Amino acid sequence: MSYLDPYTVFTIILVIILIVYMFMETKKKPARVEYVTRELLVCYSCGFQVERDHEPGDFIGLVKGKCPRCGGDLKIKGIYSVDKSKILKAG
Amino acid sequence: MDSDTISLITQIIWLAIFILLITGLNQKIQMRIWAMDIRNKLNIIKRIIDEDRMRVEKIISNLGYKTPAVLVDRVLDFFVIEPVGIEPTDIIKRLDHTLRTGEGTLRRFIENSLPNVGKFERSLIETSMEILSGLNLIYKVIRHYLLTGERENNWILLMQLELVMPTIMKYVETYHMALDPFTTGKPIGDSLGPLVVYNLVEKSKMLSKRVVDDTSIIEAWLEDRRVLFVKAEGPGSNVGHPGAVINSLVEELKGSVDLIITVDAALKLEGEDTGSIAEGVGAAIGDPGPEKIAIERAATKYNIPLRAIVVKMDYREALTVMRKEIFESSLKAMEHVLRLIREETKPNSTVIVAGIGNTIGVPL
Repeated sequence: MSYLDPYTVFTIILVIILIVYMFMETKKKPARVEYVTRELLVCYSCGFQVERDHEPGDFIGLVKGKCPRCGGDLKIKGIYSVDKSKILKAG
Repeated sequence: MDSDTISLITQIIWLAIFILLITGLNQKIQMRIWAMDIRNKLNIIKRIIDEDRMRVEKIISNLGYKTPAVLVDRVLDFFVIEPVGIEPTDIIKRLDHTLRTGEGTLRRFIENSLPNVGKFERSLIETSMEILSGLNLIYKVIRHYLLTGERENNWILLMQLELVMPTIMKYVETYHMALDPFTTGKPIGDSLGPLVVYNLVEKSKMLSKRVVDDTSIIEAWLEDRRVLFVKAEGPGSNVGHPGAVINSLVEELKGSVDLIITVDAALKLEGEDTGSIAEGVGAAIGDPGPEKIAIERAATKYNIPLRAIVVKMDYREALTVMRKEIFESSLKAMEHVLRLIREETKPNSTVIVAGIGNTIGVPL
């Protein structure tokens, strides 16, 4: 039984490391963040604020429903995108 | 495997490398790999363009136009030639004239094809087609350099293209993502300036409103000062002509303006936080020149202090749906504007506050 000399073993290990590294480099992709559009509704009478999912046709300044606290108008103050993973869903 | 065989294999490998090096074949192989990678990315761009084109055509046909492909084809290759730069006389006038002609022509194309469509929808279609046109231009330029590099065996050209492709792909993805707000009317990062002005108007006592040159001028009373708010007319996709309007406003008031403040989104440097606010001096406006110079000329002529507030964001954040951090910064920027007005002017002064940027999704 013949043994491989240290130089050959070193070269083979080096080649394997290189192949594994190249494979990992090609597979590596930056994590993709998914965003969802939300809107901030504010009651200008009592300052109540609530964040909800954006609905098509909504725009900044639109009066959308009544305030659950004082019954005043709830107005859309902002429409923005939020990282989906950071939204706390009820239930 | 004995050591003689391994030695023979090693010798052959070295010989092969030597032959590749002296014949230049290694470069040709490398060139083929680069060309293949560029072609793959080019195919991705083509797929994105086809997908976006279908989306835009569907919107146009839903609005009642029977042959949307004809309209899209006409706008897709529309171009604006820059004026002569080596003769500086009147270059701003010529540039302004060229840009306005381009803007008006594109608008007329759409108005003539869709006469019954409202201003809001028309502006969305206009910008969506501009996005499509930008993507198409990127595709054609990349394809041109790829084919030229391959035909002329120009490996330096291909290498440069391969190195720049990741950046180009980021731009393509940004443009692709920008189609969503421009087809649904949601505010984008660049809408920050108009949003700050909108919130300031909400806070003040509005006296009058008029629209000049696609730009709204709102006269209001705020912090015991007469404030003239300037922003593009919303809520459609529109940047207006804030420079020209500020210039005419200052002339109208015979220079009796105590302060001009411009609020805009600014591209951040790598490492800077999205939504960070910076204050400075000058006109914060990123147009090709005519609007900015109009503000500077008006301020200089009557010695009016010109202050600027910018909110930092990257290119993608500026063109896609406004991020929450940017929205929160718009509220802080509003406080900055109020503080500037209080610090720099006395009660009963006249102040111009201009919210620069695309007003999509922001009314007034």
